[in-house]
Amino acid sequence: MNETTLIGLFIAVLEFGTLLYLAALGETIAEKSGVLNLGVEGMMAVGGVTAFWAGVETGNPWVALLVGVIAGAVFSALHGIVSVVLGADQVVSGLALTIGGLGLAAFIGQDLVVEPPGARFEATNLGPLSDIPWIGEIVFSQTAVAWIALLLGIITWLVLTRTRLGLILRAVGESASAADSSGTSVVKTRMIAVMIGGALAGMSGAYLTLALAPGWSEGTTAGRGWIAVALVIFGAWQPGRVGVGALLFGGLLALEPRLQTFGVEISPILLSMLPYLLTIAVLVLLSIRSRNRPSVAPAAIGSAYRREDR
Amino acid sequence: MAAPFAFEKRDKPLRGGQIRAFVVGVVVALLLGSILLLIAGHDPITIYTKMFDSAFGSRRGISTTLTRAVPLGLAGLAVAVAGSMGLWNIGAEGQIIAGAIAGAWVARLGGDLPGPALITLMLLGAVVGGGLLALGPAIARASLGVNEIITTLMLNEVAIRVVRYLVNGPWKDPDGNNFPIAPELPDQSALPALFERSNIGLLIAAAVLLGFGVYTARSAWGYELRIAGSSEKAATYAGISLKAKVFTVLVLSGAIAGLAGGIELTGSSDRLVEGVANGWGYAGIIVAALALMRPSGVAAVAVAFGAVQVGGLSIQTLGVPAAIASILQALILFGALSAAVFTNYRLVRRSSGVTTATVATS
Repeated sequence: MNETTLIGLFIAVLEFGTLLYLAALGETIAEKSGVLNLGVEGMMAVGGVTAFWAGVETGNPWVALLVGVIAGAVFSALHGIVSVVLGADQVVSGLALTIGGLGLAAFIGQDLVVEPPGARFEATNLGPLSDIPWIGEIVFSQTAVAWIALLLGIITWLVLTRTRLGLILRAVGESASAADSSGTSVVKTRMIAVMIGGALAGMSGAYLTLALAPGWSEGTTAGRGWIAVALVIFGAWQPGRVGVGALLFGGLLALEPRLQTFGVEISPILLSMLPYLLTIAVLVLLSIRSRNRPSVAPAAIGSAYRREDR
Repeated sequence: MAAPFAFEKRDKPLRGGQIRAFVVGVVVALLLGSILLLIAGHDPITIYTKMFDSAFGSRRGISTTLTRAVPLGLAGLAVAVAGSMGLWNIGAEGQIIAGAIAGAWVARLGGDLPGPALITLMLLGAVVGGGLLALGPAIARASLGVNEIITTLMLNEVAIRVVRYLVNGPWKDPDGNNFPIAPELPDQSALPALFERSNIGLLIAAAVLLGFGVYTARSAWGYELRIAGSSEKAATYAGISLKAKVFTVLVLSGAIAGLAGGIELTGSSDRLVEGVANGWGYAGIIVAALALMRPSGVAAVAVAFGAVQVGGLSIQTLGVPAAIASILQALILFGALSAAVFTNYRLVRRSSGVTTATVATS
């Protein structure tokens, strides 16, 4: 194992970490407001294909990224309207968003499969910082989107824990009727949270097709949306812990194609099961722990709120 | 600012609301789908006619539709059995795979057995395999209250990787030209044909659906299930052991999905492949939701979805991606979910100041 392969591994860890973190952060925000959205995989695909298309059309990665973000947000509104405004079941609505999103992405991307990327995010050059051995190559040469992900994580953490807005969001997710009584619009708050979740899943998809693996093919999201759903639980609904989890799961994704290079005899396919098994383990541990303490999950998650049913 | 309209609960639900909701869902899906098709430069009428024709226009078409309805119906039933108790089995996709793996394993061990014995054992193995994958979530939910939505969902991704591992590694066909496929199953393991493309898997699925429909409607077990699903308190008061019920129902749910995997393996495939579940487990959730968790409804919706899938494949020759089938299925659900809300609620105009809805229902 030489230095180059090791540096390559660490670069990939941060790349996959960025991909997972963006989507998981969005899902965290939605779930904090009390809305489970199992449509992450579909929203990622829609964001990814629209961003790639916009890249081909405009040649500008920033425009393309924006298109992916908007597409993700607009698409997620479908889940918001059906499960938040109309109060239908969140589980089925979210799953339909994944099925429909993967279908829609394949439909839109039918002719894009053969297209070479029109725009891509390149490694940033931060001058002297990028020249630092190891750290410079691994950290300070990431694309701009990685820095945006980090920034968004910090902002989300600050907003959730330090601001009135965060308090409202959490109140809606803990007890919708109490929040409603105190004059907060539950529907509006949840709708916004769902659409922020969609925007971030869209950005994650755009990062995939514009930076991590420029190009489009059906199935390119490859189940990463489900890992993002898992990460929210793994990180106990906290932006910081979700970030740590994103690096860990991102690390596993980065290791997968490199195992043989490192002389490990285990099948990379078996390694790829770990994120899901770890999440189940964490979920079980959280359940055991919460028998004596209040649960870390938002209390109102999964249940629709209708003032009329109060 | 308050919205100008509010929901008001109806005194009693609208009669036939679910069927109406399903029809609305189909209409909405076809309309929105035609907009997509128009944007992509296709004529929706031509496309839809071709889809309908390929699914129902011939004996062969009907048999293909019914063959696709089998895994959809069984996965839908699996979800519905759990759903009638208020539990979500999102893991049908993985349990189908587990069933197929177990069936293939039986075939590896007993390849010399005569057909009927081998098939029976393979299907039984599939039932056990599906049930086994649901065992962990069932224990965790019953004993610790661990959310079964997430555990079953995560195990889907695990099961997909197990089958991927098997067909790329230990079970890889040495004569498969390096394709990730398992060796061909013994000839006598194929389910006997019924008509055209249908095999007796159709009868098995129909019998299971009918059996469950009658049993849950008539038996004390089914009655307890519905009580447990409607109110935890009522169930405890009636002396129903909730934990035992949760456990049995989840394992049973997994077993039914496993059977779907067994039938796919012995009926429609000649070997174990990675894509054996083909998204049927996820589609089954939509099927069950549209059927309001009722076995009779599951059968009907499964046939409709089978037709959409067959239709979707048929229009590829016209240059339309088969993905349109997934889009239509999701849109049907969104449309029906939205329409179903109006079975129990109606929209009322808010008068200025007080919300009439709150006043009317309190």
